[in-house]
Amino acid sequence: MGHGDMRQGLKECDKLLRKHSTHQSALSLKAYALARLGEVDEAVALGQKVLRTPGALKSSHVIQGLSLTFRVLKLSEDEIAVYNAALIHTPDSEQLYCKIFMAAARSKLYKEQHSAAVALNKLLKQDRYLWWVVTSLLMQAKSAQDGSVKQLQLTLAERMAEKALNEGRLTNTEELRVYLEVLELQGNHAAMVSALSTSGPLAEKIANDPDLVTQWIGLLIKIGDFTKAYEVAEIALEARDNWADYKLYVEAAIAQMDDSESPVQAASANFDKWAAQRGRARGAILAGVELATKLHEAGHAKPTDETADVVGERIWSYVEQFMTKAICYSDIMQYFISHVKSATALGQTSSAIDFHTKHLEQRLHDARAVATAAECGEDAAQSWVTLERIRYLIQALADDVDPQRWVADIGAMLSFGLDSVEAERKLAACSDMTLIACQRIILASFLAYPDPAQRSSLLSSLFKAVCVLEAGIKLNDDQFLLKLYAIRLYLYLSCYDRARVLYDTLNIKNIQFDTLGHLINGHGMSLGCFSVDLELCYDGVSFYDRSDARVPQELESAYGKGTYSNITDFTMFQDNLVHSVQRECTHRCALRGEAFEHGTSKDILEQWKEADVVSIEHTDETIAALHDNRDVGVMGLQTPVDMAKWNLEIMTRQIPLPGSAWIQIFSMVPQIMHYIVCSEVDLLESKTKDLLVVIDEAGQSVSSHDLLLARGVYQVAILYLRALSGNEGFDSELATLSDMIIGALPQETSSSASNTLDLCDVALTTIRTASVATEVFTYAQSVRHALFAQRSPSANAVTFGLSQIRKTAMKMMGGLRTWTEKPARENIDALWLNAEDSLLAPVTAFLFNRRKSAVTLVTKSCAGSWLKSANNMAAHWKKCT
Amino acid sequence: MSTIRRFRAMDMFRFNNINLDRYTETYDLSFYLTYLSSWPDLYVVAESADGSLMGYLMGKVEGKEEQWHGHVTALTVAPECRRLGLGRGLMKVLEEASEKTYDCYFVDLFVRPSNAVAIQMYETLGYTLYRQVIDYYMGDGVMPTEYANDMRKALARDVDKKSVVPIKHPVNVEDTLF
Repeated sequence: MGHGDMRQGLKECDKLLRKHSTHQSALSLKAYALARLGEVDEAVALGQKVLRTPGALKSSHVIQGLSLTFRVLKLSEDEIAVYNAALIHTPDSEQLYCKIFMAAARSKLYKEQHSAAVALNKLLKQDRYLWWVVTSLLMQAKSAQDGSVKQLQLTLAERMAEKALNEGRLTNTEELRVYLEVLELQGNHAAMVSALSTSGPLAEKIANDPDLVTQWIGLLIKIGDFTKAYEVAEIALEARDNWADYKLYVEAAIAQMDDSESPVQAASANFDKWAAQRGRARGAILAGVELATKLHEAGHAKPTDETADVVGERIWSYVEQFMTKAICYSDIMQYFISHVKSATALGQTSSAIDFHTKHLEQRLHDARAVATAAECGEDAAQSWVTLERIRYLIQALADDVDPQRWVADIGAMLSFGLDSVEAERKLAACSDMTLIACQRIILASFLAYPDPAQRSSLLSSLFKAVCVLEAGIKLNDDQFLLKLYAIRLYLYLSCYDRARVLYDTLNIKNIQFDTLGHLINGHGMSLGCFSVDLELCYDGVSFYDRSDARVPQELESAYGKGTYSNITDFTMFQDNLVHSVQRECTHRCALRGEAFEHGTSKDILEQWKEADVVSIEHTDETIAALHDNRDVGVMGLQTPVDMAKWNLEIMTRQIPLPGSAWIQIFSMVPQIMHYIVCSEVDLLESKTKDLLVVIDEAGQSVSSHDLLLARGVYQVAILYLRALSGNEGFDSELATLSDMIIGALPQETSSSASNTLDLCDVALTTIRTASVATEVFTYAQSVRHALFAQRSPSANAVTFGLSQIRKTAMKMMGGLRTWTEKPARENIDALWLNAEDSLLAPVTAFLFNRRKSAVTLVTKSCAGSWLKSANNMAAHWKKCT
Repeated sequence: MSTIRRFRAMDMFRFNNINLDRYTETYDLSFYLTYLSSWPDLYVVAESADGSLMGYLMGKVEGKEEQWHGHVTALTVAPECRRLGLGRGLMKVLEEASEKTYDCYFVDLFVRPSNAVAIQMYETLGYTLYRQVIDYYMGDGVMPTEYANDMRKALARDVDKKSVVPIKHPVNVEDTLF
């Protein structure tokens, strides 16, 4: 068993138990082996039996075996019961109380955790256990629903920590952080300030801990002691260049404006002084912008006169000095926005926009001239990029909806990004320029072609954007943002294969499955590529399983090492992972993929029977408790995420990001299949009705293809119910299912006229609906197997009906394959590349003249990806005999 | 200029702009959490004015007696945040903690000899080559197998700077374990 061979371990246990049937160690080890082998009921029963055996827990072997059994089974209360039973034999065991504490901490059983801590503290009177008591009280309070209970626990924790502080038993900043959190939860900021103002050895530790200093300043502001806050911030800023302190310093200075202007003046002078120090200019000058902005917002400057321009001038002065740095734009963007917004509040948007445009134009002209001169160097290149980003923002703030203006100068940007000496040198600024150019192309395309009737133009433009991205990737493979956009656009065009290749080069793993898995997970299944998508789901599921075990271990480790500041953070982190939206999506995709992969085989019946459909049930409460950890802000947007109209991450989604309705639908589908296979008619009828309600209420939150799939599953369930109910309406339901599946397949084409498929249909819907049809048919196959297994008289009729559908489908899928093999590329050339396109004429010219290889690559990738999807689906239909 | 603060587990949900860089490894959760639970003050992150993460440093302290030292496990800065002195700022946090909080003799780090930019930065911060470690970096399809430069900087406690006297012959990885 030590080597992980549980089967052999089980055999050895049984061998021993045949000779000594009450050998408690052997019984506990057997329970453990059973638990590890997934024999849950047997393991629980045996474990409980040992637990109830008088005297069994005198043995440390039994304690270990049994506690591990319950831990594997995730039965924390039983694990704790083991230790409590053992305590009867060794009532003062520190080790057993510690084990109870940790087991309870891992499982958020805070009451039990607290009891163990109290016992340890009473027994051993060690500071470490005192802090375990305080921490467990804190965690109990944080999870308490009852306000008075919460307050009681916080008060107790506060008193213990305060006493420890006064007695010199609060010795490090980890303990201090727990105390501060206890006070914070009670809103007792004055006591927090008092704790942070302590003297003695702890004071030195606080002074050396920048986070605590920043927290102290913030608290001083909260309690209204602006003078002290200002003073502490100034001392902190003399020692280090910390942006959080600058912001608080400004806040403290402005708060004193009513009494005296001198703090503001002194702060301003200090900014000048610090700006002159080596390496501090950026922070100090940005603090000057912050000061001007906040003064303006606080009404200490007259917004309508030239003072408004003081803020603007400060902003531009900052840009002037730091535009050679890539970070400049991120630093200053928020000030542009607040400046324009404050003008908007006064109905003066256009004057603010004009002000910035005036400042921008000459600088942009000059920067462009310098950067396009021979071998301009990194600073000049970056300056141009920074100004281009500002131009982008100003256009968005001005609500500029003219697509032509969005692609003005695009040719120059492409030349610099992809075709200059600097581009050959792989300057990061060139990749950035390519990205901005691409973002402009995408934005202009969506602005120019909002009407579904213009979809060919839209897709043509997006195709060109992908060409630009591929050219950029070829030049500089390190630029992950180009890949993120390329993945998004390929998926928009229904090209999974190439998107997946690019995704794989990003080496996404571990926690990134949760934050970035959404980029590709599930898209394969929507595009007929189930197997490869399923593999990725398994990687994700495996990550979540590992994290379920490891995060609690690390939580335990934090208690053990006394790094209490991690407890809240780790607990929150664990919650976010356990209740992660992406986790639910990954799990449902995995179920979906497995249902598809095995759906044509009779073995699927056993799988559906054994499937755990209880744990996947969702209620409004469980849905509301989900955390969305998906990182949608990593796309290098030029405008803030909340400027939704300009958010390219949202704009380039071909299908909505899966949310609550999606999760509910894909939780119900396996449940429905389980009920069909188990012939649980009442539950099936009820769940089918629920599914229909979710479908009807989903609206735009679920893609039309996923809704089509859900309706297909609904129809499959109805067909099954009709089959059971003596054929009443059975034929009609079978016909409806047939129509639905065939209607979703590619338009039937004869081999001689196979180029009649519409390019835009293929890119937007054909492959997706074909994938839906294939998946629904697979579920129908499972129903057929179930009807045979249940000896339903309708089984043969279903078999015949499905065989007819399959015959038609094979022909249609053949047509799609034929089209993607050749006519697809001809269509791309004719309709997307050579079509008249005044909006993106410079882009087209650039691509044809300078980056023909990228065009060829994208053309091949699109046709190749579609062919792969078609081949996958055709192979599946072939398998469905 | 940035806010340098302690790294938090929750930051892992939004460090992709740093970790998507091909030279930055995304480790198993345990790796990050172990550093946080063991040396929370030596795992710091830089946050920009707009709240995005710019770079982070993972460090630890280890060794016995005169080998008691601070160690840089990982230092990484997002592509758009380079050339700002952020690496220096993060290193300063580790050095100060190693000296003031942990009373170490020196700080050390391993760097690829091919990473000239990083080596230059470390040299300007006062680090010198202490020894080379044979095949410390194993090829992973992206980066080649390479020796490591073990660079050190003596802290105030090492009055005679004994910890940084170079060893001329390369050593094996197992010789570097404390």
